[in-house]
Amino acid sequence: MSQKEIDILKRAILREKGARKAAEKILEDKSRELYVTSEELKTTNLKLEQLLDEKSTQLQGVFENIIDAYVVMDLKGNIIKFNDPAVVLFGYDIDNEPLNVINLIYKKDYKYAMKSFKKLQENGFFTNYRARIHTKNKDIKWVHINASLIFNKQKKPIAAQGIVRDITDLKNLELQKESLLKKVEKSNDELQEYAHIVSHDLKSPLRSIDALVSWIKEDNQEHLDAASLQNFELISGTLEKMENLISSILSYSSIGFDSVKKEMVNLNTIVQDLNKILMIPEHITVKVKSKLPTIKGHQTKLEQLFQNLIGNAVKFMDKEDGLIEIDVKETPSYYEFSIKDNGIGIDKKYHEKIFKIFNSLNERKDSTGIGLSIVKKIIDIHNGEIWLDSEVGEYTTFYFTLKK
Amino acid sequence: MTNALKVLLIEDDTIELMKFNRTISSLALKHEIIEANNGEEALKVLEQKENLPHIILLDLNMPKINGIEFLSILKKDETLKHIPTIILTTSNNQKDLLECYKIGIAGYILKPLKYEEYVSKIEKVLSYWSINELIKI
Repeated sequence: MSQKEIDILKRAILREKGARKAAEKILEDKSRELYVTSEELKTTNLKLEQLLDEKSTQLQGVFENIIDAYVVMDLKGNIIKFNDPAVVLFGYDIDNEPLNVINLIYKKDYKYAMKSFKKLQENGFFTNYRARIHTKNKDIKWVHINASLIFNKQKKPIAAQGIVRDITDLKNLELQKESLLKKVEKSNDELQEYAHIVSHDLKSPLRSIDALVSWIKEDNQEHLDAASLQNFELISGTLEKMENLISSILSYSSIGFDSVKKEMVNLNTIVQDLNKILMIPEHITVKVKSKLPTIKGHQTKLEQLFQNLIGNAVKFMDKEDGLIEIDVKETPSYYEFSIKDNGIGIDKKYHEKIFKIFNSLNERKDSTGIGLSIVKKIIDIHNGEIWLDSEVGEYTTFYFTLKK
Repeated sequence: MTNALKVLLIEDDTIELMKFNRTISSLALKHEIIEANNGEEALKVLEQKENLPHIILLDLNMPKINGIEFLSILKKDETLKHIPTIILTTSNNQKDLLECYKIGIAGYILKPLKYEEYVSKIEKVLSYWSINELIKI
């Protein structure tokens, strides 16, 4: 081997050494990188594992802790999983006895159940299913179910899950409420009917007495002295009072019975019309101080309300210049009305009593003691309140509120 | 020219019957009054087709067949349904009023408390019907 050749070889070896060194360096770098990466991977994996654990625990927690029954079934309806409330609700031990949802469905709700099941398949979920189910010991329960499909990685449905709530008590309450309402309605009708019959039966004898008395009077015109004639007048007045009383009781017991719907009622029109109907004497002025509102309520009842209050003010007016002032104040949620008169006034000790039935303060033929109790009842129906302010011999102001 | 009417009064209360008759005689009216104490009696009266009343005055509250039941029977009969029937009652029950007009009545008179008022109401009803052209057999 010549020197030249040797040199070439030496150079080649040197080159190779350098290359190897470089390669070793790269290898070292790479393996370091790999180590770091694998370390990172390890941490990430650990994190993932922790996350998975966490989620599983959470899910387990949800599964175990929800009060509602949780059910998982396969696509054929075979139950795969029951949580504890589900076991309690349905009464089946699915680890030892296979169970299909079909066996749970109440016969009459079968069609509805199938429809909902179809919906689940088509849309992937259903909500607000309400129907009856059979439990193992043949009890019937009302349940509310929200259900959805469970999908695998390829987005193919593999099972379905549902949250089942026992609404038997709620449903029973609903049914109970319905039947109670019907009963109340029926007995209200009966009561109304009864009130009419009683009023008829009570009024008939009064008419007879009036007729008989007027015949005695007619047939004995010449033989009756002044005292007897006056007594006949008293009988007549008493009969009238009795009849008024019966009519008032009937109208009092009728309030709140009719099922007429609330409508928009213009109170200005009501008061204007009343001024015509009530035959207000000339010495009494009725003044409406501000424009009255239109409110939602029962037309005839609101008429009755104003008629009774204005009527009372007219009836118990003892001044030569009678003044009745109607006013209204508006608040965000209601109107506060006032009807003020400068009549005889009402002593403070009677302010509560006057709203109770048959508590007329005045012995008068045209006063039955029912008017203000009717007023109170009408205001109650309209969710309002009534009170008064008065000075005996000076004035009386009735205040009442009606909801907007 | 006013007609003398043949009036069928269906009323179970004796004093109410007395009131009606006294009213007729005190007003010196020439109408012929046929009395029936209840719906059944009235239906018997109406069986005599050759002697039908021109108008019927009907009380609502009666035993056995009540006024509304009687009215329904009447209005289902091809001949009798043409006889104007006026209700004479104490009941101002809106339900009764509506039901009566639905079945078909020629008037609804409330019996007042005062006898004088009763006389005046009856006088008006009868004078109204006596100036009407009525179906006669």
